[in-house]
Amino acid sequence: MTELVRDTYRYRELIWALALKELKIRYKRSVLGFLWALLNPALLMLVLTLVFSTILRFGVPHYAVFLLSVLLPWTFFSQSLSYAVESIVSNGDLIKKVRVPKLVFPVAALVSNLINLGLSLIPLALLVLAIRHPFYWTWLYLPVPLLALVLFTLGMTFFFATANVYYRDVAHILQVVLSAWFYLTPIIYSLDFIPAHYKWIFKLNPLIYVINGFRLSVYYGLLPKAPSIAASFTCGIASLVIGFMIFRKYQDQFVFYV
Amino acid sequence: MSSGLPAIRLENITQRFRVIQERPDSLRELFSKFFRHQSQVHDFDAVRDVSFEVPEGQMLGVIGRNGSGKSTLLKIIAGVYRPTAGTVQVRGALAALIELGAGFHHELTGRENILLSGLLMGYSKREMLEREERIVEFADIGDFIDAPVKQYSSGMYMRLAFSVATEIDPKVLLIDEILAVGDAAFKEKCFERIRRFREADKTILLVTHAMAQVADHCDRAILLDQGSIMADGPPDEVIEIYKNSMLMEAVGAE
Repeated sequence: MTELVRDTYRYRELIWALALKELKIRYKRSVLGFLWALLNPALLMLVLTLVFSTILRFGVPHYAVFLLSVLLPWTFFSQSLSYAVESIVSNGDLIKKVRVPKLVFPVAALVSNLINLGLSLIPLALLVLAIRHPFYWTWLYLPVPLLALVLFTLGMTFFFATANVYYRDVAHILQVVLSAWFYLTPIIYSLDFIPAHYKWIFKLNPLIYVINGFRLSVYYGLLPKAPSIAASFTCGIASLVIGFMIFRKYQDQFVFYV
Repeated sequence: MSSGLPAIRLENITQRFRVIQERPDSLRELFSKFFRHQSQVHDFDAVRDVSFEVPEGQMLGVIGRNGSGKSTLLKIIAGVYRPTAGTVQVRGALAALIELGAGFHHELTGRENILLSGLLMGYSKREMLEREERIVEFADIGDFIDAPVKQYSSGMYMRLAFSVATEIDPKVLLIDEILAVGDAAFKEKCFERIRRFREADKTILLVTHAMAQVADHCDRAILLDQGSIMADGPPDEVIEIYKNSMLMEAVGAE
């Protein structure tokens, strides 16, 4: 664990440069360039708002805010994983030629998506103002679930990046896992919609605690209860410890398999 | 002045590669292998129990035929491979020119790549920005410096890579084959720089097939054969042994 903290700090400039490179390449050759990082979520919000305020009505007021308050963190989670799973393999050429701590690649994949998430909060705030949803002071609480989410995501990226070095099927399996996970997590719906005797199954999902934190603070203007916060950090730390241990065990072998 | 301590020290280095015939690359293969027999695995030592020291300020040429373990050895010293057994010590900052522009990203411009490859080598952004102009100047590729490197010719690529690696002022420089490309004028410029490095008491390890480079520039040569050191000494003598062994083989093959 000290290795993780030490190398992340020591190579922070490299990680930042790699993350920016990732974004730069993603928006390369588009006229609007970096603006897409803002436009993408903004347009998505526009579509969602139109669809759910006119065509589909769930009886959830300001459904777009209800949805986006957790869809944006979910997008960060799933995109980080999708990028990171390939991060070791796609940087194989580099790993074969330069001595560099391997952890910079999954971490950079996460950081680039973190930048995206940060940017997408701007249109979300604008949306909240535009549809006159109350702008709660609990927005200030967001860094807490965000931290738990980053820990959890980082652990998962380490695990999937490692597994994909050995079996390239992992990247494909991940996509299936992510889409199932998406529907099993209360993102488009609320846990309240679930019959009481099934709820325990949903509570096994490590993501729901952190998701809960985002929705409560942005949509309801409430803070999560202490056990929920504790659960979100327990999941986050467990994921990071296990994920990084696996990564660390195999990282010296990566060079032979990429 | 040199401190007398070795700049590079290798002790009993062995690098074992596990060669799996048809390593399962996907789960489907893994399952089918699982139900049949275990895939054949054999180990082979690309480098076998190699020990040597390179004193500070020495220029060492490493020669040997293809597959003798030269490049593997260089990668071990560079820290790219962690050896199966043995210890490596390198004193001072190291720059490795293992391949043309390792760490260059095709979509980024030359200038952006200078920064990125510097960061990859563990230098800070500030250190790289300080050196940027000198790197650009030495590479001497004109306006291309602000174009994506995918548009570069291999010669331009190499100029920039060599410029980055030497301008960061390492104590130890590893060079693998790369001086084979580039035009005569730039090659001369490179060797001029290598001469200055030597005057500054820097340690250089050169892997090459060009015997003339070893004879002209190195203080010492090592001949590798099947992962072991076959000869170690003055360049002329080691080159002689190498040539004889090639000759013997050619005669023996008849």
